[in-house]
Amino acid sequence: MGEPSDDRPSPDSNLNGAKSNSKPGFKRKYENGPRDDKAKKPRRDVEASSSPFMPMFENFRDELDEHHDRRERVIKASRDITAASKKIIFALQRVRKLNSEIPESIAGEVLGRSKGMKAQFDTIAPDLTGLNAWRYQRQISGGIQEYMEAVSFEHYLRNQRLIPLEESSRLLPETIPLTGDDYVLGIFDLVGELMRFAITTIATTGSLPSSSPSETDENTVGSRDVLQDLRSLRASFQALDTTSCGGTGLGKDVEKKMEVMKACVEKVETAVYGLIVRGRERPKGWVPDLLDDRAPVTVESY
Amino acid sequence: MANVSETGMLDPRIFEDLQRKIDDDAETRDQLRAILQTIERQGRQTQSILSRAHSTPAAHLQPVLAAAEASIKEQVESIGKLSEIASKGPYYKYNGLWTRDVQNVIFAILLCGWLGGLAMEGEGEGKAAEAGKLLTIEEVGQILNVPVNLKDRDAFHITIEEYLQSLITLIEELARLAINSVTLGDYQRPLQISQFVKDVHAGFQILNLKNDSLRRRSDSIKYNVKKIEDVVYDLSLRNLVPRP
Repeated sequence: MGEPSDDRPSPDSNLNGAKSNSKPGFKRKYENGPRDDKAKKPRRDVEASSSPFMPMFENFRDELDEHHDRRERVIKASRDITAASKKIIFALQRVRKLNSEIPESIAGEVLGRSKGMKAQFDTIAPDLTGLNAWRYQRQISGGIQEYMEAVSFEHYLRNQRLIPLEESSRLLPETIPLTGDDYVLGIFDLVGELMRFAITTIATTGSLPSSSPSETDENTVGSRDVLQDLRSLRASFQALDTTSCGGTGLGKDVEKKMEVMKACVEKVETAVYGLIVRGRERPKGWVPDLLDDRAPVTVESY
Repeated sequence: MANVSETGMLDPRIFEDLQRKIDDDAETRDQLRAILQTIERQGRQTQSILSRAHSTPAAHLQPVLAAAEASIKEQVESIGKLSEIASKGPYYKYNGLWTRDVQNVIFAILLCGWLGGLAMEGEGEGKAAEAGKLLTIEEVGQILNVPVNLKDRDAFHITIEEYLQSLITLIEELARLAINSVTLGDYQRPLQISQFVKDVHAGFQILNLKNDSLRRRSDSIKYNVKKIEDVVYDLSLRNLVPRP
């Protein structure tokens, strides 16, 4: 309490004491007196100095500390990357037009966040090189999957195509591998985003988003709508045989995500069904009118 | 549908590539599992031989150690094969598959070394090494003929965590040995074990462990320390050991 070194660092008296408390890897020095050693410490040190294995364990401690620090940095970055990706996805959900440039205001936000995300990846790149690339895979995987979801969604909105694995790693530093597992799991989540995009567009514009005919001649893409794309994704996912990795993470995750994915596609199918059934009676661009709405309408087939 | 996907949203090659990745992965795992099965069986053999130490007086331990050494030698060969296959892929990708078996091998080596077997080069082979010594991770690596604590390249090796895990198993085993030594009429060995385990425990105490499996298991060391202390207490109470 009365110790001045607690809050006022005077370089000569406090440096060693303060450091040895906060940084376990720092060798303790006693030149400045053992006064920073609180009640319990001396006992441990007496015991410690008598053990012949101390140098070995000190070495282990330093190594493990490094490992835990790296691990924590990766976890933190992964969380930040996840958050940035989610925000990008939110911004992109405001896009209404498929297969065209993203409106400037949204593109600006996306670009800003992507830059932040790239910076995050760059900071942990040294922690994920060589041997360690796979060591912290479980920690970074969540962030990469979310990143995958954002990148593939953006790519889809621009080109109405599924981004290939090689292209999706363009924002990642070279040393960080994009694993097939993370790619697949990210694409599974993309289905959910496409569902939201389709449903929102149907609700606001009254039509299913599809590549506009005017652009079909510039692009090789024929006129397709989101539902067709969702169905081809679903078909590809269903063909994917993951039974061989039942024990590992991918097998379990795929099983769960497969159900969610199917439900998403069905939601869009139902929405399109509603659009066809009820849309029959109104011309394109029809805006609800209070008078018209009240008039009793019966569906023809009933 | 197939036609749609060819001209449509996704290039069919994307999913073909993914499938290939998954299949390659499964094949590597199968190869590793095959060799691990052998290591596991050999491991049981070694453990069974080493178990005889609990019923063999220290003076007659030599044949047991010789048998254990021979058994460990077989495991070393298998580890070599494992290392060969494992070094093809990223180490940490498959590390979870073999770490338990490798820990068992390390434990067998540590126990055998502690009992006085596995004399390292320079100590004079054939002669019984001194009991009660702790083989370092480097020495274990030398015996297994694999690198330890690799950092600069991605290949098979022994990690610090694996070594420490095996060390905890050694402590558990020594706690049992302390009790059985008394049964065999050996009142000196518990003292030796007690000192050794205390020294190792002191080492573990300076580690900053996170809430992982290593921490949970290292928490159990103190119970073993106490178990051994109780044996020493019982002996000294009855004047069966010289007072320190």
